[in-house]
Amino acid sequence: MVNLFGKRIRLFRPRSIWVRRIVQWFFFLLIAAIAINHTLAESGAAIPILSSASLHAVCPFGGVETLYTFLSSGLLVKKVHDASLVLAGLSILLAIFFGPVFCGWVCPLGTIQEWVGKLGHKFFKKRYNHFVPTKLDNILRYARYGILIWVLYVTATSGSLVFEAYDPYFALFNFWSTEVAPTAILILGVTLLLSVFVERPWCKYACPYGAVLGVTNLFRVFSIKRVESTCKADGACSIMCPMNIPVDSVKVVRDHQCISCLECTSEAICPVASTVVFTNGSVK
Amino acid sequence: MNLTSKPLAVIIFVFMFGGIALTSALGWWQTESTKEPAAYTEGEFAGQANPADIRGSYTFGDVANSFNIAPEILAQAFQVTDPEPATFAVKNLETMYLDSGYEIGTNSVRLFVAFSLGLPFDTTGQEIYLPKTATEILLAQNTLAPEQIAYLESYTVDVKPATTTEGEVAPAPQAESTPAVESAPTAATSSEESEYVVKGKTIFGDLTGWGVPQTVIEQIIGAPMPNPAMTVKDYASANGLDFEAIKTQLQAEVDKVKPK
Ligand code: SF4
Repeated sequence: MVNLFGKRIRLFRPRSIWVRRIVQWFFFLLIAAIAINHTLAESGAAIPILSSASLHAVCPFGGVETLYTFLSSGLLVKKVHDASLVLAGLSILLAIFFGPVFCGWVCPLGTIQEWVGKLGHKFFKKRYNHFVPTKLDNILRYARYGILIWVLYVTATSGSLVFEAYDPYFALFNFWSTEVAPTAILILGVTLLLSVFVERPWCKYACPYGAVLGVTNLFRVFSIKRVESTCKADGACSIMCPMNIPVDSVKVVRDHQCISCLECTSEAICPVASTVVFTNGSVK
Repeated sequence: MNLTSKPLAVIIFVFMFGGIALTSALGWWQTESTKEPAAYTEGEFAGQANPADIRGSYTFGDVANSFNIAPEILAQAFQVTDPEPATFAVKNLETMYLDSGYEIGTNSVRLFVAFSLGLPFDTTGQEIYLPKTATEILLAQNTLAPEQIAYLESYTVDVKPATTTEGEVAPAPQAESTPAVESAPTAATSSEESEYVVKGKTIFGDLTGWGVPQTVIEQIIGAPMPNPAMTVKDYASANGLDFEAIKTQLQAEVDKVKPK
């Protein structure tokens, strides 16, 4: 830490939140292992210590999809299990305190988009994640709420998981099985392809579960806050933000798209100590 | 309070896995179907298993356990030729009837079970098809309400599964879009149909299927005919009747109608 022009600057600092990468790897491998074990279980060859639950059982969005049916009749939509409701409850509770950490730290579909996005970073350097015109981008960011409403409506009226046929998360861990609809594989392919140009395109424009968790950004307990008195306004936080949130122009990030990745904070890209922080207190 | 990445990572793990451990202890963490459908929560049937919660992963045996309808009856209703119908998974019906042009699957089984047992089942706005064989069994019970018969008139289809459960290709899938409900009901029968011998496993559906009139059966048992899926023996023991005596009388009636 050195003092430069009256500001405390960290000379050697990690440029990203490495512990988040480890957590992402962990959950990606865990879900992949469960999905493979589920397939093995069907032929009686499951690995005993590992869960062989179906992917639907370990997907929190199933808990949201089944909510109407559950509240109106006490039943769960076909293929959804109680575990989905539990996971939905846990990740929403977590989001009320810390924002959509499920998206930024746990969701394997978000993780694989980030991995593919590294290629985009390499190819396009600074142009990466800035291809979509701002006006169009601003409108598209709300599309996921439209998708959420559609999914909830068709699930409630049909009593079945209609979204499964379009779900890239289901396709990602089941592409080898006959259960996956070609539309879901196509959407997964398009998502991964777009990830070369745009960071987390599915999360930004289409994810209905991200839409649910995103709402918590408006009132979450711990938020990303910028200390204006020490900020040197270099814009690093905004450039680094995978969701293109203009962190450098707000005091508190209340954007519905923040995924609590902490990449904008002084622990990562912000060069000034204690300037972009993750806190439940107020900042100057 | 400021939070950094490492404590946040710990919080995520504690929250997720602690939450799973806690809900497991409370019995809420279920990643697999218990094979026991949820019960009605209110009304006359509160506490009774709800056919609307039958899952595709259930076997006919699981359905039988919860609803007391013999797997053989379900197999007959849905034209399943599996030698062990109790192990047949309900979800396989969708594949069996894929080429028929009609969606016959888990919902069809739910409808069949609900109508068969007189349990409430909401068909509003739903197009749930039943093969003619299933409707015939329901009609044979003579217990359906007029609106249920009307529903079946609209959604019964004369279809044959494209593949048998053993994976053999049937001659040709057939589907007739016209309603296939007939007013003269045929009867439910178990796999013992051809034997014409009343045994412990004989169900009432077998008797009517062999041609014994329902009125005669009712005279012998001294009560209205129960669910055709019920075995005569179970009925006798549940009602304090002497099975051997009933069996002899019924066999005499069966012998009268048996083809010579
Ligand atoms: S504002 Fe910060 S924490 Fe939120 S998504 Fe952008 S970089 Fe991540």
